[in-house]
Amino acid sequence: MSGETLIELEHVGVAFSATRSVGGGHYWALEDVSLRLKRGERLGVIGRNGAGKSTLLRVLAGILEPDRGRVRRGPVSCQLLSLALGFMPYLTGRDNAVLSGLMLGLRQREIVRRLPAIREFSELGDFFDEPIQSYSSGMVMRLAFSVAIQVEPDVMLIDEVLAVGDAEFQEKSGTALRERMRQGHTVVLVSHSEKEVTALCDRLLWIEHGRSVMEGDRDSVYEAYHQQLHLGEAAT
Amino acid sequence: MRQHVIELILFSTYAELRAERARNYLGIIWWVLEPAMMMGAFWLVFDVILKTGGPDNLAFLLTGLTMWQWMKSCITHGGYAIWSNLNLIRQARLPLIVFPLVQMLADTVKFFFIFLLLVVILWLLGHPPNKAWAALPVIFVAIFLFAAGGGFILAAIVPFVPDVRFVIEQVLTVVMFLSGVVFALTNMPEHVHAVMQWNPVAGLVDATRGVVMYGRWPDWTALAKVAGVSALVLALGVAMIVRLTPRYPKLAA
Repeated sequence: MSGETLIELEHVGVAFSATRSVGGGHYWALEDVSLRLKRGERLGVIGRNGAGKSTLLRVLAGILEPDRGRVRRGPVSCQLLSLALGFMPYLTGRDNAVLSGLMLGLRQREIVRRLPAIREFSELGDFFDEPIQSYSSGMVMRLAFSVAIQVEPDVMLIDEVLAVGDAEFQEKSGTALRERMRQGHTVVLVSHSEKEVTALCDRLLWIEHGRSVMEGDRDSVYEAYHQQLHLGEAAT
Repeated sequence: MRQHVIELILFSTYAELRAERARNYLGIIWWVLEPAMMMGAFWLVFDVILKTGGPDNLAFLLTGLTMWQWMKSCITHGGYAIWSNLNLIRQARLPLIVFPLVQMLADTVKFFFIFLLLVVILWLLGHPPNKAWAALPVIFVAIFLFAAGGGFILAAIVPFVPDVRFVIEQVLTVVMFLSGVVFALTNMPEHVHAVMQWNPVAGLVDATRGVVMYGRWPDWTALAKVAGVSALVLALGVAMIVRLTPRYPKLAA
């Protein structure tokens, strides 16, 4: 089934309300982005801050519908790996794991079956059954990551979640996520770390100011990207 | 897909109640204590000080307030649910009717606790359970449909115009006083009274009082009318939310 197109974007634009007040205008977070994602592909999205990378991921996840252009989607599950989705401070780690898992699209019995693994991976020990308001922020992120890594959608959408917690847990979570990505899942990764993108992705999409600049194999896109960055620096 | 949504609704409701229990020192006791204190305040003002009612006034007042509080909390909590969860809605693709529904279900669970307290008090006041209580489930369904209808419509609108929150509280207070929740509507001018016949809150509260205080069966036709119209409003609210779903994540933060 390799090579089958799972999601296709044609000149997609997304506009947000600029303000809350009456008659507030819109701004286009995505202006014109096209891409084609095939099964088994690992696509990296690069571009500067505010280029629209996170918005693009949310379009791919089906959270945002385009205001112009077209999205064609095969019958596949796409899930944005959101950390701490739906977490409630007064609930225990266990209850939050179930709640967050449900919001990430897992069935309850699947989550319950994986609770021991979540507890183990998060290294929370007895804190797992304590309210998460008693956790340090590092502990919350450990729990959040341990839940998110359980989700196995057809297309994994990852937005800069490769490094959470302390140095040791970063290593561990990064390894687990890379392992998951290498298992042949289709992945779209947004990251500022060129090292990560180079290690994990075979193709790249470069966007700037909400427009796709270039899509292609990793090395040639990076080469063009760097050239443009240097040109920009030279100009200023 | 559908089973997954049901699991999400049920677990979220459980989580909501659980979190609320953990949030306060006295936990679950507040579910009953808070409305009990409010009832006490109204009893003090209207029964003890103003002496607005007759011998059955306390039962009248407590029944009215219990039913009204349930409706009001479903309408407001459900009505604000999408608005207060916009951050979550920007990050996950979930059926948005989950958010208001969870709030209404949590409020309904709390209502049952309060209603149990009301049953005890009514008994002590000389109104033991009677045969007509068999009608209560039907009245409760009608009340839930009515409150959920209002809640879903508001839930659809509030994210676009959060300012209406300030108006809603005031409107609901007026509705409470005009629905015979606190005092009977017998002293009203004739033409106002005629209009009030169409007030669903008054009808629902009266139906409940008739059952628990006088063993009187409800007016089934009136109840069916309220339930039917409420169901239509509810369907409209749900349709609005479904229709507007793509727009909520794009609203300004």
